[in-house]
Amino acid sequence: MKNRLRVLRAERDWTQADLAERLEVSRQTVNAVETEKYEPSLSLAFKIAQLFGRPIEDIFQANENNGTAKA
Amino acid sequence: MQTETTPKTERRWMYAGYAVTILWGISLVVARLALDKELQLEPTWLRVAAALLPVLPTAVFLWFVVSAVRGLDELHRRVHLEALAIAYPLAILLLVTLGFLQLAIDLSPENWSYRHVWAYLPIFYCLGLVIAWRRYR
Repeated sequence: MKNRLRVLRAERDWTQADLAERLEVSRQTVNAVETEKYEPSLSLAFKIAQLFGRPIEDIFQANENNGTAKA
Repeated sequence: MQTETTPKTERRWMYAGYAVTILWGISLVVARLALDKELQLEPTWLRVAAALLPVLPTAVFLWFVVSAVRGLDELHRRVHLEALAIAYPLAILLLVTLGFLQLAIDLSPENWSYRHVWAYLPIFYCLGLVIAWRRYR
């Protein structure tokens, strides 16, 4: 699953630690989501969408090849 | 989702973890020394009491570990789950292999008893943590 988290964070000039604090998760989690090594839970994805004031599908997109999340 | 991931909270957990682990370690060392054959601790109930000495600190350690895991965020929880998924089969592999080897040859209890084998379990867990973290870093 692709995401625009790094771009959205950069637009607000936030560090990963800043974003982590706002999302109440660790910085490692933010980094893993940004680098697409970890797919967040639905609740965290909604929290991210709410924080940036955008629809969830505007931030997260399924891969075009299969449309499903990678395990 | 748990939220106890601020640096202050992490530090508090870290210090508590050190304290609990040290307490647990001390109880293990004291029990081991008290049960040394050369000491010949008598009467028997005292030896049993020494053998059971680490039970309470271990229970506190267990409570601490469970509480700490519940306070982790979702990625950290997944990492610990994957570490367990690696460590658990490794522990079974070790015990089964030693069991079969015991049938095949004479394994000296001086080298391969429970008190020697348990130390491999945290090693397997740490190995699992390293492998799991490599995936998400």
